[in-house]
Amino acid sequence: MDENSTVDVDASYVEAGGTPQAPEGFPDALAGDRQDVDQLLPQLVAHLGEHRTKLRQEWASRIQDARLLQAMTPQEMAAETTSVYDNYVEVLETGSVEALQHYARDLSERIIPRGVETHEVVGIVLLLRDVLARSLFEKYQQDFALLNRVLDAYEPAANRIANTVAVSFVDERERVIRQQQDAIRELSTPVLPVRERLLILPIIGVLDSERARQLTEQLLAAIRIHRAKVVVIDITGAPDVDEAVANHLVRTVDASRLMGASAIITGLSPEIARTLVTIGVDLSKMNTIGDLQGGLEEAERLLGYTVTRQNDSAE
Amino acid sequence: MSIGPALVSILRQGSYLIASIHTALDDSQMIRFQEDLIEQIGQHRSRGVIIDVAALDVLDSFGSRTLRNIAEMARLRGALTVIVGIQPEVAFAMVELGMGTGSVFTALDLEEGLAYLSSRVSSSSALST
Amino acid sequence: MPKFGAHRTSDVSDAPEERSEVAALMPMVRRIVGARVSDRAAADDLVQETLVRVLAAADRVQPGMLEPYAIRTARNLIASGWKEQDRHKRNQHRLVDLRPPAAPDEEMLQREEHDAIAQALAHLSDQERQTLLAHEVSGQDTRSLALEQGSTAGAVAAELNRTRARLRVEYLLALEGTEPPTDRCRPVLRALSSGDRRRQREVGADLHVLECAMCARLSEPLIRRGQQREDEVRIRITADGDIVLARQGARELADRIGFSRTDLTVIATAVSELARNIVRFAGEGEIFVELIEMPRCGVRVVARDAGPGIADVEQALADGFSTYHGLGLGLPGARRLMDEFTVDSEMGRGTTVTMTKWRQKG
Repeated sequence: MDENSTVDVDASYVEAGGTPQAPEGFPDALAGDRQDVDQLLPQLVAHLGEHRTKLRQEWASRIQDARLLQAMTPQEMAAETTSVYDNYVEVLETGSVEALQHYARDLSERIIPRGVETHEVVGIVLLLRDVLARSLFEKYQQDFALLNRVLDAYEPAANRIANTVAVSFVDERERVIRQQQDAIRELSTPVLPVRERLLILPIIGVLDSERARQLTEQLLAAIRIHRAKVVVIDITGAPDVDEAVANHLVRTVDASRLMGASAIITGLSPEIARTLVTIGVDLSKMNTIGDLQGGLEEAERLLGYTVTRQNDSAE
Repeated sequence: MSIGPALVSILRQGSYLIASIHTALDDSQMIRFQEDLIEQIGQHRSRGVIIDVAALDVLDSFGSRTLRNIAEMARLRGALTVIVGIQPEVAFAMVELGMGTGSVFTALDLEEGLAYLSSRVSSSSALST
Repeated sequence: MPKFGAHRTSDVSDAPEERSEVAALMPMVRRIVGARVSDRAAADDLVQETLVRVLAAADRVQPGMLEPYAIRTARNLIASGWKEQDRHKRNQHRLVDLRPPAAPDEEMLQREEHDAIAQALAHLSDQERQTLLAHEVSGQDTRSLALEQGSTAGAVAAELNRTRARLRVEYLLALEGTEPPTDRCRPVLRALSSGDRRRQREVGADLHVLECAMCARLSEPLIRRGQQREDEVRIRITADGDIVLARQGARELADRIGFSRTDLTVIATAVSELARNIVRFAGEGEIFVELIEMPRCGVRVVARDAGPGIADVEQALADGFSTYHGLGLGLPGARRLMDEFTVDSEMGRGTTVTMTKWRQKG
C-alpha cells in the first residue's frame, strides 16, 4: 500500500509539474535557438544603441522620402521618431510590449486629431523595421550563418512591434470615433429640463427613423424621471419635415400623452404646416405654436404659472 | 369569480375607486375585470376611477381597447376615468401599434391621477351635493 | 421515480478486486442503458440495479464472462422494466423510447407491440434492417459497418438515423392499426421524427400537422423526443391564456440576445396581436419564435394556423380594416412594430405570418 501511494505521488507530480511548464519550456531541438536568441538580442540591442543617432536620422529621411506624416512639423517628427526608436529598442531588449503599447496609444491620441492615417503609422513602423534590418545586414554580412540567426531573433520581435503599434493605433482611432458618435448623438437629441415638470426637446438636424425612435425613447424616459407634465418639441432646427417625420412627431406626442404629459410643437413653419395638411397628416391633435418663445409661454400657462415682467416696475 | 386579489385589486377611497392590475391578464380575465369594475362603480356610486397599469409589460390592441371601453362605460355611469402608470416602453409600443387610449385621460402615476380627479370632480360635484 | 421491479440484493460480495472489476463495467452499462432509456433518473436506477446484480453474481460467473453477463443483465432489466411500465401506463413506452428493444427477451413484451415492431421493420429494406440490427442488437459500431459497406462511418450513422426515424413512424402507425389519411402524412412524420428542419420545411410539416388530426397526435411523441433547443420556443395557441404565454415566451427568448427594453415590449406586443388573431379567426395554431444570426442578430416569429385564411391580404394589411368589432389593428399594427413582415394565406388552408425584428447595433 505504501509503495503504491508513493508511485501515485510521483505520477501526479510529473503530471502536475510537467504540463504547466510546457508552454514556456522549449523542446530539446529548439534549445540551441533559444540560447541564440538570449545571446543575440543583447548584441543586437547594443548595436542599435550604439548607432542610434545615425539609424534614427536615416529612418527620418526615409519617412520624408515616403511622404509620410506630413501633418507633423520637423521638430515634432524628430521628437516622435526618437521616442519610437527608443521604445522599439526597449521592446527588443526587454521583450515586453507594454510600454510600447502605452506609448503607441498616447501617440495615436496626439496624432489622430491631426488627420494621420492608419497606413502612415503602419508605414513608418515598417520603415524602421527595414532600416534596422539593413543595418544588421551590413554588420553581419561576412558571416552568413550568424546573420541568419540574428535575423531569426530580430524578425519575430520586429513583427510583434509592428503589430502592436498598428493595433494600438486602430483601437485608439475606433475609440475616438465611437466617442464622437456618442457625442453627436447626445448633442443632437438633448432633453432639457428647463423648469420643474417642463422639458424642452430641440430637434436639430436630419431626423431619420433610427434617430427619431431614439429621440422618442429618450423623451419618454425623461418624462418619467423628471415627472414632466409638459413637453415642448422644437423643430426649428430640423431642415426637412416630410410625411415620415411628421408621423413620427404625431406618435411621439401620443406616447407622451399616454404617460400623462402634454406636448407642444414649436417651429413649424406655415409652409411646412400647409404641406403636411395637403399630404394628409392629422395636425388637429397636435398643439402647435409658431415659435419656441410662444411655446414656452403656453407651457407655463398649462403648468399654472403666470409670466410678468419684473423690470417694468423698475424702470 | 375567478379574479382574485392576486390578479387585480379594486379599492374604494371616498368617492373614488382605485383599481390596480398586478400582473399580465389574458383576454377573459381582462373582460371580467371590466365587468367587475363597472359593477362596483354602480354599487358605490363612484365619481372617479383610477386604473393603475404600472405592472403591465404589454398593452396590445385588446388591452387598450378594453381600457377605453371601461372609461366609456364609467362615463355613462357618471364616473371619470384616469389611467396611470403606463411604462415608457409600453407607451412607445402602443403608439407604434397604432393604439392610443382615445379621449381617456392619462397621468404619470397614482398621485398625479388623484390630483387630476380632485381638480375635475370636486368642481362638478358641487351640483350633486 | 418508478423503480424497476427487482429488489436490491443486499448480500453483495466484498472482495475488492471483484468490486473494481464491476466498477470498470460501469461506463459500458451506462452506455447500453443510456441508448435505450432516455429518462435520466430511470437510466441511473437501471445502471445501479445492473451493477448490484452483477456484483452479487460475480463469484459465480466465469472469469472473463463478466462483461457479457453484465450486458445481458442490463438488457433483461430494461426489457422487464418496459414490461412493468407497460402494465402501469399503457402508452408510456412510446414516449420513453421508440427504438426496437434489441434484447433476446422480445417475446416478453406485449404481443401487440411485438407485432407493431415486426410490421415496422417490414417497412424497411433488407439492407436498412440488417444495418440497424447489426448496430442496435449486435452492437457493431458504425466504423466496422462502414468498412463492410464501403462507406464512411458518418454516412452510416446518418443512414441509421434516417432508418430509426422511419422505424419510429412505422411503429406508431402500426400501433394505430391504420394507414395515414393522406400521402403527405408519411413524409411529414418522417421529417418530424428525424428532427431534420430543412426536410420539415420542404414537406411543409408545420402546416400539415395543423391540418391533419392524426399527424398532430402521432407527432407529439416524435417531437417531444427531440431535445428542446436553446434558441427557439414553440407555443401552441388554443385559448386566450396562450396569448399571454406566447408573448412572454417571445420576450424571454429575445431578452437573451440583448434587445433593449423598448424592443422587447415591441416584440411582445406584436406577438400578442398575432396570437390573438389565431384565437379569434382560426381557433388554434402555433407561435414559433427563434433567434437568428444571419444576416444579422435578431428574432423571428412565425405565427401559423390552419384556419379559414385571409381572402384579401392587401386589404387586411391596410389600416382600419377589420372583420371583428372595433379595430382591425392586428396585422398592420404588428407590421409597423416589426422590421420585416410577410403574410402567406390560402383560403381554406390557413395563414402563416412571418415577422422579424433586428437587434439595433451598439
